[in-house]
Amino acid sequence: MSETRKIVRQVLVIGALGVLLGAALNYPLVKRFVRGEFRETFFFQADYPGVVLITIQEAEDLWAAGETVFFDARGAGLYGEGHVPRARNLPEAESQQRFPADVLELPREKAIVVYCEGGDCQSSLLLAKRLHDEGFKDIRVMTGGWEEWKKAGLPEDRGDDQE
Amino acid sequence: MIKNKTLLVLFRLVLGGLFVYAGVVKVLDPLGFAQDIRNYRLVGQSLSFIAAVVLPWLEILAGLALAAGVWKRASALIISGLLVFFILLTLVTIARGLDVDCGCFGALSRKSGFGVILEDLGMLFMGLCLLFAPEKRNR
Repeated sequence: MSETRKIVRQVLVIGALGVLLGAALNYPLVKRFVRGEFRETFFFQADYPGVVLITIQEAEDLWAAGETVFFDARGAGLYGEGHVPRARNLPEAESQQRFPADVLELPREKAIVVYCEGGDCQSSLLLAKRLHDEGFKDIRVMTGGWEEWKKAGLPEDRGDDQE
Repeated sequence: MIKNKTLLVLFRLVLGGLFVYAGVVKVLDPLGFAQDIRNYRLVGQSLSFIAAVVLPWLEILAGLALAAGVWKRASALIISGLLVFFILLTLVTIARGLDVDCGCFGALSRKSGFGVILEDLGMLFMGLCLLFAPEKRNR
């Protein structure tokens, strides 16, 4: 057998072994994946009981009721270009250090809605996990994000004035 | 290309060891790694999951084989291929202006950027040296 063919065969064997080992050793996870878990998030819902995913309609209702704090997980630039009125800018990238004092002072039972740009964005989920770890008990992720909020023709604010 | 045998052995141990380490930290937290992949926003949820399950084992197996000197060329080829892929991925990520964690070495990961590319290039150099190392003459 030529050298190249031998190498290709060995590469395939290593690849196949990798697939087998990965599937076998993660069997419980793979089973849950096949059952439909992890379609939207990569964390166990059971580990983050307070984190739920909500639609734009639910978010709108919460926003209209005015009892819920909205956190915008995007950077200050995008926030300035347009955001949900009364939403506080809390860039996910910065929250890796420590949350600002006014966030930490919020009662842990306070209902919170987090969102990011929309579509594929992940920062709202990451922010939700951090808020959960900080002790907050009612965190809702508006998965459609800013894009869908805007598309739905809901109210918007501009500028970086925080309320 | 480098022909010094001692240096090549050193490359094998360092590169193989790095890949085993990178694989092990990912194996310990598959869902965390899946999220890291998802953050690059290139593939969807399912592919991220599959890659997170398989990729770490590929790194471990290829790393072990390379360090042990078994199937040297095949493992060097896999590792070099992965590195080329990582470099392209990082370049695309920089071009798209995404701010993501590279997800490369677990807790030692940092923001995906040019530093990561430099490291990958260094490792790729070792990988290619091993891939194209001269054949032993007298077996």
